[in-house]
Formats: sequence, C-alpha cells, structure tokens
Amino acid sequence: MKSISAVLLLLLTVLWACAPAPDGAGTGTGQSGSTVTAIINADAHTMAAAGRIGNATILLQGARVAAVGADIDVPDGARIIDARGNTVTPGLIASATHLGLVEVSSSLDTDDRSASSDMLGASFDIRYGLNFNSVLIPVARADGVTHAVIVPSASAQTPFAGTGALISTGAGDDLLVQSDIAMFAGIDGPSSSQSGQSRSSQWTALRLALGQAARPDGGSGDSGSELEAVLRRADLDALHPVAEGSMPLVLRTQRESDIRQAVALARDFGIRVILYQADEAWRAAKLLAEHKIPVILDPMANLPRRFDNIGARLDAAAILHRAGVPLALHAWEFQMSHNAGQELRQAAGIGIANGLPWQAALEALTAGAARIWGIEQHIGSLEAGKGANLVIWSGDPFEMTTRPLTVIVDGQEVPLETRQTLLRDRYMPMITGADRPGQENSR
Amino acid sequence: MLGDRTGYRARTLLACGVALACVGVPALPHAQPAGNPFPSTYRPAAATDTLFLNATVLDGAGNRHERASLLIRDGLVAALGTDIEAPAGVQTIDAEGRWITPGIVDPHSHLGSGSMPYTPVELSAWDVNEIGNPAAPHLYVETTIRTQDPGFAAALAGGVTTIQVLPGSVNLFGGYSVILKNVPARTPQAMKFPGAPPGMKMACGENPKYNYSELGKAPYTRMGIVAGYQEVLDDATDYLNKLKRSRRGENGEPPHDPKLAAVAAALEGEVRVHIHCYRADDMAIVLDVASHYGLPITAFHHASEAYKIPDLLVERDVCSVVFANWWGFKMEVFDAIRENAAMLEEYGACVTLHSDSAITGQRLNLEAAKAMAAGQHAGLDIPRRVAIQWITLNPARILGLEDRIGSLEPGKNADVVLWSGDPFSVYTRADLVFIDGALIYDRFGPADQHVSDFILGQPAQEPRP
Repeated sequence: MKSISAVLLLLLTVLWACAPAPDGAGTGTGQSGSTVTAIINADAHTMAAAGRIGNATILLQGARVAAVGADIDVPDGARIIDARGNTVTPGLIASATHLGLVEVSSSLDTDDRSASSDMLGASFDIRYGLNFNSVLIPVARADGVTHAVIVPSASAQTPFAGTGALISTGAGDDLLVQSDIAMFAGIDGPSSSQSGQSRSSQWTALRLALGQAARPDGGSGDSGSELEAVLRRADLDALHPVAEGSMPLVLRTQRESDIRQAVALARDFGIRVILYQADEAWRAAKLLAEHKIPVILDPMANLPRRFDNIGARLDAAAILHRAGVPLALHAWEFQMSHNAGQELRQAAGIGIANGLPWQAALEALTAGAARIWGIEQHIGSLEAGKGANLVIWSGDPFEMTTRPLTVIVDGQEVPLETRQTLLRDRYMPMITGADRPGQENSR
Repeated sequence: MLGDRTGYRARTLLACGVALACVGVPALPHAQPAGNPFPSTYRPAAATDTLFLNATVLDGAGNRHERASLLIRDGLVAALGTDIEAPAGVQTIDAEGRWITPGIVDPHSHLGSGSMPYTPVELSAWDVNEIGNPAAPHLYVETTIRTQDPGFAAALAGGVTTIQVLPGSVNLFGGYSVILKNVPARTPQAMKFPGAPPGMKMACGENPKYNYSELGKAPYTRMGIVAGYQEVLDDATDYLNKLKRSRRGENGEPPHDPKLAAVAAALEGEVRVHIHCYRADDMAIVLDVASHYGLPITAFHHASEAYKIPDLLVERDVCSVVFANWWGFKMEVFDAIRENAAMLEEYGACVTLHSDSAITGQRLNLEAAKAMAAGQHAGLDIPRRVAIQWITLNPARILGLEDRIGSLEPGKNADVVLWSGDPFSVYTRADLVFIDGALIYDRFGPADQHVSDFILGQPAQEPRP
C-alpha cells in the first residue's frame, strides 16, 4: 500500500514541475532544501512516547521533524525517501569523542584535545579548536553518528580538563551546536605526570575550587588566598556555573571509592555530576540510582588495565540499567574518534550480548543520552518539533554487518562518502580487474 | 594416545639436529628447534570426545555446512558430515541453532608480555620492546610471558585458542615470537605450542624512527632503518656462509653469535619473518631488501596500505596481517581503509586479521564481521565461509601450523568453538571452547573458571547484591 502511494506521490511530484523544486525528489538523493521530506515505510524506533511504529511515515520540514506516525498523509511535493521497511532510529549521539579536535593522534600539530602544557585548566574550552574540515567527521556520520559530545583531555591543572561541547556531524561550516555542555575533570591514580599526585590531592583541589567558585562573588575578593596559587581567576570563573548547578561536572573516574566520592561531592555541593569511563560504577549502582547520577560507560571495558578498574566487567551496563541509573555510552578511547560510530555501535551490541536490553542500548545512544546532556528538547527522539536527525539502517543498528543507508542531520541528507571510501574507490579497479596489474592466474 | 604423540615429538627432535628445519618429517613437519632454550612442556588436558549435532559449521577450509555433525575424538577432528553415529563413550551435544568454527588464531598479540594491570612501573617499556639496540633478533619473547595476564582468559571467552605473541615494533629486529595455546598454565613453557616453527619480529616505519630519535640515536629516518636492515643482513649473510662452509667441512664453525645465528636462520627460511609495516612504499622497499638477501618474508603485520600493492604481495607470496578498521593513530596508518582485507581476498592475496590489543583480541569474530561487511558493501562477494578463514586457517598458515590447526578437517587438532549463534553477530558468544579436544572454556561453567591469580580475592570483582 505504501509503495503504491509512494509511486503516486512520485508521479505527483514529477507532475508538480512548477512548484518550488524539491530537488532529487523520489530518488532519495540530493538536497532536501526547505521543503518537506517524507521517510516512508520506516520501522521507526521513535524513542518518544509513540515507541516503535512499524510502517511509519516521518515528515521532516526544514531542520525539524513535523510528524511521525503510521497514518500520516504525505503532502504533495514532498521529497520521498523510501525506507523499504528498514529500521529507522534517531541519529546516534556519541557521548564522548574528540571529533574535530584530532586528525592524527600521534601528530601533535593535529591534536587540540587538551591544555596539557599550558596555563589553562578549567577555563580551557575546546569550542575554539573544532575543525569542521576534519576527515574524521564524515566517517562518524557515515556510521550513523549525528551528534557527539566533545571531551577535553586532562589539562596540566589537575584534576581539571575544561569545558566540552556538543557538535553535529552535518556538512556545514560549523560543528558547534552547544558550547559549555559540561565541565570535565578526572580523578585517578597518580600514574602520570599530569595527575602525579595523590587522589586525595585531586579531590581536595576539586573541593576547594568548587567552594571558592560557589561564593557569590566567585571568590574574587580573595585574591590573596593560597588557592589562587594553584587555580587562576579564569579557571574559578569557568567553575562558577558548575558550582551554581547550571552546568554538570563530568568526572572521569573509574575506581569504586572515587565513584562514591563523586556522589559525596554532588551531595555536599549540590551540583550535578555525571560519571564518565566509570568502569566500577556498577559496584555503586544503587547509590547512583538514588542520587540520579548518570554514567557514561564503555560496555566493552572488562579488563583490569589499571588498579583503578579491577572491577571492570562486561555486564556493568546491564547492572547499571537494572538499578535505574541513567546511562549513555562511549566507545573505547583508542578508536572513540576515528571510528566513532562503528565502535560505539559495537560497544552497545556487546552491552546487549551481556544483558542490557536492546531498547535500553538504543536509548543510551539517543534519547537517554540527550536527557543526560540536557538537550532532549532538541535531539534524541523522532517526534514533532525535534531536530530532524535520523538514520535508515540496512539492518539491526548494532550489528557490524549493518550500515546506514541514509543519514539525515538537521533535515539535510548527508553524503556517506569518506576519505576512506575515496581511497577504496581509487584502488578498487585494480582489485576487481579493470586496471588489474600482474598475472590473471595469480588467484 | 597422548604418550604416543609426545614420544613422536621427542623422536622428531632427535631427527632434526641443531637449528635445522624439520620439513619433510611426516605428520609433524615442524619440530621444536633444538636451539630454543625454553622447550614446550604443554600437555593437552583430558580430551572430551564429543559429537556435535545439527550445527551450522564454518569449517575454516572454505566451506559452510548446514545441520552438520562434527565428531572430535582423542584430541583430533575425527569426522565432519551429516550422518555420523555417536561411538560408544562419546558425549553428544545438540547444537541446533548454534554455529561451530575452528578455534580462532590470533597471529599478533602482546598478551602476557604487556601484562595487565599496566602499572606505571611497567609502563615505561612493558616487557615488549628491548629498546637499547635496534638489532635484537636473539631475544625470546617467551621470557616475558606472564601466564596470569587476565587477557588470556578474556580472549579464550572469545574463542581464541592459539596466539602468537610478538616482541614490539621499536627494534628493527625485535626477537623471536612465541606461539601459545590459550590454556590456563603456570609457566610460559606450558602454553607453548609444541613443534611450532619459530617466528621473528621485524619492524619498519614510524615506531623505530620515533623511539630511537627520542633516544638521540639511529635510526632517525627510513633511510636509517633500511641501512640498519642491511648492516645486520650483510653480517648474517657472512655468518651463514661460514656456517655452510663448516657444514661442508671446509672450515670450522664460526664463533657462535646469537644475533647473527637468529638472522641466518631467517635467511635459511627456518625462522618465519613477521614484519611490522603500514605503508605500501615501506613494504615495497622491504621486499627489495629481502630479495637482495634472499630473506623470505612470511607476513607484513598491520599492512594498512596492502590494498595498494596486492600484485607485489601475491608475486612475493607475502601475507598481510591487518586490522578491520583501525586508522589515524599515527601518520603511517592514515590511509587505512575498512575494505583492506576484502580487497586483498578478492585479488587473491593472502590476508589475516589480528588483534594487537587485549580489547580487540576478545572479539576477532567481530573484526571479521566488520571487514567482511565492508567488502560486501563495496560489492565484493565475501561470504562468511571465506571471512572466517581470516581468523582461522590463514593465520594458521602464516604460523606454519596449517596442517595442525585452523580448519575442521579430519586429523587436525580438535580446536573447536561452539558459538551461541552466528559468529558474525555482535550478540553471539562462545559457549564452549575446546583445545586439542579438551573442554577449556564453558560459558555456563563455574563463574571463576580461569580467573587469574591477580583477580583472585579482589573485592572490586565481586558481585554486589
């Protein structure tokens, strides 16, 4: 039925030659312009109150979702994208990457991840370093990531890293969607020069700073204090929104004792805390649920790589979910940026294989993540008024054999071409025979 | 039965003499080189003779069997087919809905050598790179293996039964590799694959450049790297010529030089050369160096630009050991593409996947899924029965163990994984893992099976209510 109406719509669209041109209508390619786009025959996981809608139509108007449902009339002139019964989800949210901050991890001139060797601490703000021409961005969006939280790495001012941002992977000339999405800090064993002090020192520095930043004058009347020696004016100012509760503090910390300290910190200062890379958080699942402290977790983390995460285990995500802890996911750090989508999808799949319900995994990559980052009014679900960000998948989004067929960011269908697919296409004729060098009998 | 096999190996050792390849000895062609000072003490655990019924089998030899039966007896694959009766005393397992593959072979790991936890005191070098001298071909990586590395059990739960541990990629000549059976053991020797031919690690590109220039010593450049190869290979060639003359009785043996002896053995093809290279140009240069000296190269490891030179790789009969999707962590891996393995396969070049990481080493089946899917999406016809070979028979081949492991053909070692479903699915898990016919891992067995000594008694691991 839907395919018949699709054909009719296609005919109507073609006949409507004088109307404002819906470029590429009916072909599933081209720019959507400002007209209506209709995704038809979608197996839609809305991640909203409507739940899963089989055979859904999703209407997009400009950069927003106009309507989602099984009985939606497609307006004349709409550009049609036939999902052919495939799974459609909101665009994935990667809750921790360095997209836009790094090109080649070991090449320092392409690495803007941290203020590791300068004076900035909490006042380090990654928004200014974002590179929308990074070749990592197309790889992320071709794997279904439409939004990502960009995390600063540790600064020289332990334990602070600085403020992160939310970006979209759309093809525009600006990645930034929202700056100051959270303040980042990390507490861990004193294993490196950057955190080369006892974790007691790190907690103390954090508490002193928050106490100072919480004062009505932001501590400005106290310029001679010993705190000023280790924490600059700008860093205190940057912490002020955290201290007053308007900006969450993301604590990258793994050990159970530190996770419980984080809960105490949230309680003592009345601030919003989000835990990140919290491998042992499952040990405090009940406490975290009571205090509504979210966890950003890598479900693949199961190895005692350091004494800080001896308790890492594959069912940590499942345990946290069962306890009612708000959950978002990140991929393992080594590939969290260069393969932001594929490794994130795998991480979610591994979580499912170890007890996390499928729906909860998708939630943690969409609406659940949006709620944790305070952006649920805009992204994370497919419902009227939300941003038009979605993916049509060739199968189950968490399977490595699945790929996105169509990715829409802010209402625009984005190209799925990457520098890597261009390399592939350049060399493929040599592989398949057209330009094949050497002997034909080499197989 | 076990005694027979052990005895046979002992006889083979005697027949092989010092530092000679044992090619041609029937049924067990690759004996433990007598020169290795750390002989294997591996003994298979008691075999559980088993008949699996109704399984989907990817046999590693390139075939897919539906509703198939697999019989393993006395530690070996006895039969694979459809109408196999259970002999007396053989347990049967109905594998309806489940899949069977050969045990997974990881040809590039640092497990045990860089052992978890990676505590700061070890971080400076782990035990992976003996940086001091770029030419260190005489090192034995088995001297670093901590069998209690929790990564071994994690890999086992991912169906990995055989692991080649290599020295790192800083030295130009990094030392001998070791091939391990992924069984719980107290000593490295007890994990060593009996009779596995020796391998040697070499490296090119950024890692030697970066690490030695940091130390203020050569090589600083790719020029220095190639010159470093040539110096050692010149000396080793002289050494080998003296050895050959002494074998012919023309002169006495040259004074033993463990470094040159190692490289001379590689020149004679007795030690398999595994060389870490990413770029196509690096690989092409190495191939010419190797040709000049007659040095056989078994495999380029990482080989992220192998897809640019499949013709060279086929012509020189060199295998590529690649990642599924890793890229961008340094400049020489900037051109890595996900279709690398599939394109090599399509061309007819030898290719395997590898882990190089305790994280990836737990799920090489999913690495195969990624690489297969990338090829399929690019229009290449890569079915599961072929892609499974990237983590079974092909790595077995580059380790020189293709007549022992890597496929489920009668007479081969019964290294078998029973998967809960399609091994190319992210939701699938290894239910049972057999090594030499012995059940080594059971997902539904005791929760503490193979918990390493390090993990034992750690409160953080314990379940909380």
